[in-house]
Amino acid sequence: MLLSQEQIFKDMMDSIVNLDEETAIDLASKAIKDNMNLIDVIEKGYAIGIQKVGELWEEGEFFLPELMRGAQIMQNCLDLLIPHLQKGSEEVSRGKVVIATIEGDIHSIGKTIVGTMLRAYGYEVHDLGADVPAEKIIDAAIEKDADIIGVSALLTTTMFGQKKIIEILKERNLLERFKVILGGAPVTRSWVNECNADGFAENAIDAVKLVKSMLGK
Amino acid sequence: MLFNDWLKDDSKIVLFDGGFGTELLRRGILEPGKVPDMLNIENPDTIVEIHKSYYNAGSNMCHTNTFGSTPLNLRRHNLEERIEEIIEKALDNIQKACPPGSLVVGDIGPTGKFRPPVGTASSEEWHSSFATQTKLLEKGVDLFHIETISDLEEMLSAVRAVKKVSNKPIIASITYKKAKRGFFTIMGDPLEKCIHTLENENVDVIGTNCTLGSGDMLDLVKQAIDMTDIPISVKPNAGQPRLEGTKTHYDQPIEEFVRDIQEMINFGVKIVGGCCGTTPETISEIRKIIDLI
Repeated sequence: MLLSQEQIFKDMMDSIVNLDEETAIDLASKAIKDNMNLIDVIEKGYAIGIQKVGELWEEGEFFLPELMRGAQIMQNCLDLLIPHLQKGSEEVSRGKVVIATIEGDIHSIGKTIVGTMLRAYGYEVHDLGADVPAEKIIDAAIEKDADIIGVSALLTTTMFGQKKIIEILKERNLLERFKVILGGAPVTRSWVNECNADGFAENAIDAVKLVKSMLGK
Repeated sequence: MLFNDWLKDDSKIVLFDGGFGTELLRRGILEPGKVPDMLNIENPDTIVEIHKSYYNAGSNMCHTNTFGSTPLNLRRHNLEERIEEIIEKALDNIQKACPPGSLVVGDIGPTGKFRPPVGTASSEEWHSSFATQTKLLEKGVDLFHIETISDLEEMLSAVRAVKKVSNKPIIASITYKKAKRGFFTIMGDPLEKCIHTLENENVDVIGTNCTLGSGDMLDLVKQAIDMTDIPISVKPNAGQPRLEGTKTHYDQPIEEFVRDIQEMINFGVKIVGGCCGTTPETISEIRKIIDLI
């Protein structure tokens, strides 16, 4: 018996929530073979799954390993599906984000999790790593034609570099070109206001919501 | 051995020191991105001064300034080759401050590397890193405190590495966050599993430190105390940090913190102290209540 499309989408969603990579990849391969609409496959199937993984993490049911594993499986499915997107499909990338941990700060785990989650949601992410000078972050954003610059700082002693990003953008007359979002344990809304940044996220799921609301998709 | 005598003495409440990194920040000597452990070499006078301020405030035992002195952590700062010098100086500094009858605790913090799927660290890598740090600390400390560990697997590697190198007592402190269903590490290990696993490893004291303020840590203690007969150690934060201009503030009033500590002692906690945001003033106020017991 043929499964209804709704059932297939649900199985795709469940495979992400159950962290079942084998099933997730099998379903993606079958969707390509059966010539399904792959944009629907991503948006009505897998994307709902990763959204649920994020919700379970926010609720304290899932922890870092489940969150990361879910995002990695999602990413592997996207890597398989994207080259097969039907001609005429709208561009699957929702937007481009350049992220980095600021100069002087080697903490990369939070930033890496944010990058992984954004990728899993279909954004094109350029992760520049940790301890990256402000100028270099801006140059990369120009080169990649990014929509958003995300800057992380874990230390109260390095977060001043986040402010430097805005100052340099202002000097170079680039403030209008990029949205700048901040993250990291010591970052608060009042710090974001003081920096004149465009937003901040307390965790990786918040970061996805923030980017979504800024890009409107 | 003094520490073991303290553990056996039911009437003795042992007092740790308070925050170290936040003291360095408060004194304005920690530059952006700097490894605090390097200040053992570059600013030994201030390090000795902070140790002295805690011993003078009434701490029975204080930590060496070696929280980040594992090869894995120092490597990320290109300082791995300086590990011997850093730990040597850390031991010099604390020995200058430690009065007779008080103890020196070898501080062992997380490596900063996570296991898959979050990072790429392996148990072997952790074990070898902790073993190197322990070997260098061993000659100058009375006991070890493995602290601020947020993955039970990393804690196991640390405990086994210390035990392989040294026979000195171990306090094993895990960092928890409060979730709807109870207290968990960020990697998902529940409190009860952590406590029973550490019991099986025969650590001398089971502890918790950092992230939680004193109120939440009191809630944790109420659960933990019934889970084990092994002595418990607590080092909560002074509430949550708030940034104002270029300064970080911890707003929790000392009286509130000390009241929570008092209650934790009433519940049966053996070792108390403070983590981020606590100061020699906090420790001195805790000393007063311990002396009244």
